[in-house]
Amino acid sequence: MTVNELLARFHEVAGNPKAQFDAYLKAGKKVILVAPVYTPEELVHAMGYVPMGAWGGDVELNEAKKYCPAFICSILQSLLELGLKGTYEGASAIIIPNLCDSLRGFGQNWKYAIPSIPFIPMTYPQHRKPEFGAAFTKAGYERVIADLEKVAGEKFDLAKLENSIKVYNAHNAAMRNLAVVLADHAEILPSQRSDIFKSATFMLKEEHTALVNELIEALNAQEAKSDRIRIMTTGILADAPGLTSILDEMNMHIVADDIAAESRQYRTDAPAEFCAMDSLVKKFQNMDNCSVLYDFYKKRVDYIIEQMKEYDAKGLLIILTKFCDPEEFDYPLIKKACEAAGIPTATIEVDRQMVNYEQARTAIETFRDLLA
Amino acid sequence: MAEEIKKHRPPPDPNSASYKLNQIAAKAYTDAMEAKERGELVGWCASNFPVEIPETLGIPVVYPENQAAGIAARGGGVRMCEVSEGDGYSNDICAYARISLAYAKVKDAPEQNMPQPDFMLCCNNICNCMIKWYENLAKELNIPMILIDIPLNPDYEVSDAQVAYTKAQFLKAIRKLENITGKKWDWDKYKKVQEISGRSSRAWLEATAQAKYEPSPFNGFDLLNHMAVMVTARGKEEAADAMETLLKEYKQNHEEGKSTFRGEEKYRIMFEGIACWPWLRATSTGLKNRGINMVTTIYADAFGFVYKDFDDMCRVYCQVPNAINLEKARDKRIKLCKDNHVEGLLIHNNRSCKLWSSFMNEMGRQIGEACNIPVAHFDGDQADARNFSEAQYDTRVQGLMEIMEANKEAK
Repeated sequence: MTVNELLARFHEVAGNPKAQFDAYLKAGKKVILVAPVYTPEELVHAMGYVPMGAWGGDVELNEAKKYCPAFICSILQSLLELGLKGTYEGASAIIIPNLCDSLRGFGQNWKYAIPSIPFIPMTYPQHRKPEFGAAFTKAGYERVIADLEKVAGEKFDLAKLENSIKVYNAHNAAMRNLAVVLADHAEILPSQRSDIFKSATFMLKEEHTALVNELIEALNAQEAKSDRIRIMTTGILADAPGLTSILDEMNMHIVADDIAAESRQYRTDAPAEFCAMDSLVKKFQNMDNCSVLYDFYKKRVDYIIEQMKEYDAKGLLIILTKFCDPEEFDYPLIKKACEAAGIPTATIEVDRQMVNYEQARTAIETFRDLLA
Repeated sequence: MAEEIKKHRPPPDPNSASYKLNQIAAKAYTDAMEAKERGELVGWCASNFPVEIPETLGIPVVYPENQAAGIAARGGGVRMCEVSEGDGYSNDICAYARISLAYAKVKDAPEQNMPQPDFMLCCNNICNCMIKWYENLAKELNIPMILIDIPLNPDYEVSDAQVAYTKAQFLKAIRKLENITGKKWDWDKYKKVQEISGRSSRAWLEATAQAKYEPSPFNGFDLLNHMAVMVTARGKEEAADAMETLLKEYKQNHEEGKSTFRGEEKYRIMFEGIACWPWLRATSTGLKNRGINMVTTIYADAFGFVYKDFDDMCRVYCQVPNAINLEKARDKRIKLCKDNHVEGLLIHNNRSCKLWSSFMNEMGRQIGEACNIPVAHFDGDQADARNFSEAQYDTRVQGLMEIMEANKEAK
């Protein structure tokens, strides 16, 4: 396929996850919803199910208000809203990890709000590095496996996990490679970049890897443009079309990201030198530089500055998801570090209910003028 | 001009529980100040960190949550929050954290001063927000941090895996604190602390259970004050003595038909959530004026740490209110409602506490149904006075009262 054909395919998937969901069900596959962040998708994949990303959607909140107070993040509230509206009917279960306060309570609501889709908890430790933390992560994975066996009927097989880990590591590598390639291709607009990352959430990873590798090959064969403003983005989510279209319009080129729904997903592989379960545990152990993972040294702040330098980003766009405590706590430190390093920043606050992006447009416009 | 008539309150009885408890709470700050002046290392400690650890090691600690509540109750909350907001902290973040981050920066709050920390003792069995708050303080102040991670348990019972994970962290925390302070862990001393903590806890649980009597021998708002001692000093001999005095007084009140609740107790409710410290008088008066006594709260149960050994202690710390699933949290509250003949439930949707508020709507419905009582919610904040509307509170309490009244008439 050509670059444009591939981009059109990514756009189609990112813009219509329901079609993907229905197609997998129609093909006789079982779908397991995976809520953010760092859900062990490999376990789901190994059991022959389709792990389908569940990061909410840009919908109006009505029914979810019966369960959530207004100050819970809109990612989770909209996820609940979609569940209550029946969007996910047909899914065999949902796995919800516990890495922030809103997530900790979310599963408790889910089991009463949408009883037709069983809630499977993934309880991660914050002490992920020491051995006692690793043992707890493993216990969490075992719990997920046991629940998956119960709700969907398939038996878990370690050999299959080994294969799934390879599939996921290959996808991680493709996504990392893609991010590097896109840093040199200003002709790929922020909205198109967003489609590529977002579509990964709704596809089997082997299918997505094939498309991404094809795109990389096609991009490498074409002349790269460098006529746009090089920026890095940071935050939880940056997929709202209302936002990405403004970035397109403002001549922005995302050369690196620290977005939880984008590159943070692909930084860490499950290492090959361990048996499959231990390898998956090791993957979580090795994760870093994320607002929802215990970070005593605040290495994430330094990581962002390093990435900015490595990719020659001229400014940092901080996309703060409203009511996201972990990001809101990191924000002053990131801002301070950028100021100390002489890096211009712009901050925009987003949520899933935004219909008017004029304030964001003004901030991004000013940011563009500052960087130009 | 009429002569001003001043009300003279009788001096407090030094043998009373409230005097003793106030003294213990105040002494915690002065002791820490003095320790700091002597050159000892002082820690800032999360409210549900296993207090047995610093107590056994003889390490002075103070409690930022407690301080923030004190500052907010005395009117300084918004001023301090604004300092943090000026540094870029969102006003959506927990107000205790904003006050504490501000205090670490400005290092003075006339409402409640305390020594600056040499290390941070964090435990997230109440919320993950604690981790981010303490991480930032440790980073800004360049001091060590010890984290005890106790995730919310999605199951009703605590698993062996969780106990093992928690125990490993407790032991590591002890070793790390020994290294930081040079003090040595002594198992005999630990047993003594455990014993005292058990004494304090048993007395606290029994004292709060005296609300089973009608009328209750105490005003539930007393618990909001007294719990500070359970949080910070339950391993101290004087705390155990004070709690036993409290129990004795409540028993005596019942026998003599007295109560610390002023006026006739017409209705009995459970209050859910952290107090609105900046609006304590308004929230209390709104109930008292209607003859509503808040006879119980989850605090009554939350700080009763009774356990038989170290492993059991680990298990108990995994079962504090914000670390348990909806069913267990609900059942504890249903028991409190039934034991204490509660007629209504008043829920504080606390803007500062995402975790506590996150499944309160569903849990409130289930408690209301199980106990056949009305449930009312109001919006507020534990320390940011801007997030509370007295008018809304009043309307919600009035509505709750009217349903309780109708229920009484229907009986």
